[in-house]
Amino acid sequence: MDPRALDEWFVSEVLPLEAALMRFLRRNWRTEADIVDLRQEIYARVCEAARNAQPAHAKAFVFTAARNLLIDRMRHARVVPLEVAVDLDGWAVTVDEVTPDRHLTARDELRRLQAGLDQLPARCREVVVLRKIEGLSQREVAARMGIREDTVERQTAHGMRALADFMLGGAGRIRRAASGSKRGVGQ
Amino acid sequence: MNAALAIEEKAAAWLARQDSGEWSPADQAALDAWIEEDMANRVAFLRLQSAWSRADRLAALRGSNYGARPSRLLVGRIAAAVAAVAVAMGGGLGVIKLVQPGHAYSTEIGGHATVPLRDGTRVELNTDTQLRTSISADHRTVWLDRGEAYFEVAHDPAHPFVVYAGPRRITVLGTKFLVRREGEGVEVAVVEGRVRVDPMRQEHAKPAVLTRGDLALAKGEATLLAPPSIQKVETALSWREGMLVFDHSTLADAVGEFNRYNRKKLVVEGDAASKVRIGGSFEAENIDAFARLLQQAFGLNVEDHGEEIVISG
Repeated sequence: MDPRALDEWFVSEVLPLEAALMRFLRRNWRTEADIVDLRQEIYARVCEAARNAQPAHAKAFVFTAARNLLIDRMRHARVVPLEVAVDLDGWAVTVDEVTPDRHLTARDELRRLQAGLDQLPARCREVVVLRKIEGLSQREVAARMGIREDTVERQTAHGMRALADFMLGGAGRIRRAASGSKRGVGQ
Repeated sequence: MNAALAIEEKAAAWLARQDSGEWSPADQAALDAWIEEDMANRVAFLRLQSAWSRADRLAALRGSNYGARPSRLLVGRIAAAVAAVAVAMGGGLGVIKLVQPGHAYSTEIGGHATVPLRDGTRVELNTDTQLRTSISADHRTVWLDRGEAYFEVAHDPAHPFVVYAGPRRITVLGTKFLVRREGEGVEVAVVEGRVRVDPMRQEHAKPAVLTRGDLALAKGEATLLAPPSIQKVETALSWREGMLVFDHSTLADAVGEFNRYNRKKLVVEGDAASKVRIGGSFEAENIDAFARLLQQAFGLNVEDHGEEIVISG
């Protein structure tokens, strides 16, 4: 696939599986802190592989990659919890139950966005409301709220991360990468 | 530690810069290079970009009350003001239903309000408290921005009820418990059921699980669990009846409690007076009676200056 087709495939076929993928990972991997790294690794692996040939079935492709990655990781872990191994054997069943979160109607999508917006911290929410609902530029948002433009930019970055998480089936909350990380996006 | 989150932060910073409109060809080249550098960067960027452009749909809300409302907080404040007036007119600590089903609720100093949430949960707000809620068919989340609240959570095992209070996240299925914020600290007391308390910052820290009679004090990284005592928990809840209950408390602590509920403040001067131990139940809003009692029972000097009452040894 050429890069553009690959990007489109990822956004339209893979991302809608995120909620199901996260459930699968949480069920099969105990350490919550690893989950976002696992997700990232799966997305990267899937896209690497899809570069050569577009997979016929995104769902099976993604979940096979997920399963393989977990097995890889378990080989490297010292102790493999029994229930993890058992669950992975039955993974095919799991995949059949997965329905992608894809065909949201415009109204559902709007409702979901609104719920995501409600999850944001007050200041961040106000930035997103002014930017996306009122259609102000970041500069105008800064003037309206009486805050600095770089604060608006930071809040925008935070807001998009939280909204993305929420829209893709998460709780809409954002953790920081590590304490003391460089000029953090986020709070 | 979390490579994925670090990459996501970076992708968000790129997109936010792009969104600011201050974007040069050099910026675009730098972004392209970053995306090409690693497939992990590419997928993180695509993921956020697609969500952020989906959010353009929010423009459909322009002109609706959502966009026009300056902020939901304000709605809550108005509701609280209405409630406060109602309390003042009712002349007591009656249970007040907030008239506005807004998503933020707050009480003034001395205020006390009961908020029924959509999922059947009941929340009671103590004095000087601010709370935001987001309750829908698939999640139940509350932020305690300030103050103290007592929750009677409607049982729903499929949808945990989550309270964010500063440095802690409190998760329950259905139970009765109290959360109080004070500066950076959070106090959680459980009347019924099981409550899980997680630190917000450390990813690997173990959650504390509390049950009936448990009282936890969390500050910074530490969570202190007091020996279980349902009586202590009930004492902590006495504000629901408009009472403050002390058991061998220092006068300094007791005065701190009274001052949460009243605009007219009590001030204790002198070490000796601060350390006087007191016990008993008092009406939270009747500081004059409390001051008289200190004078009569403990022989302390009490001077009323209008704005404040000064107590000294």
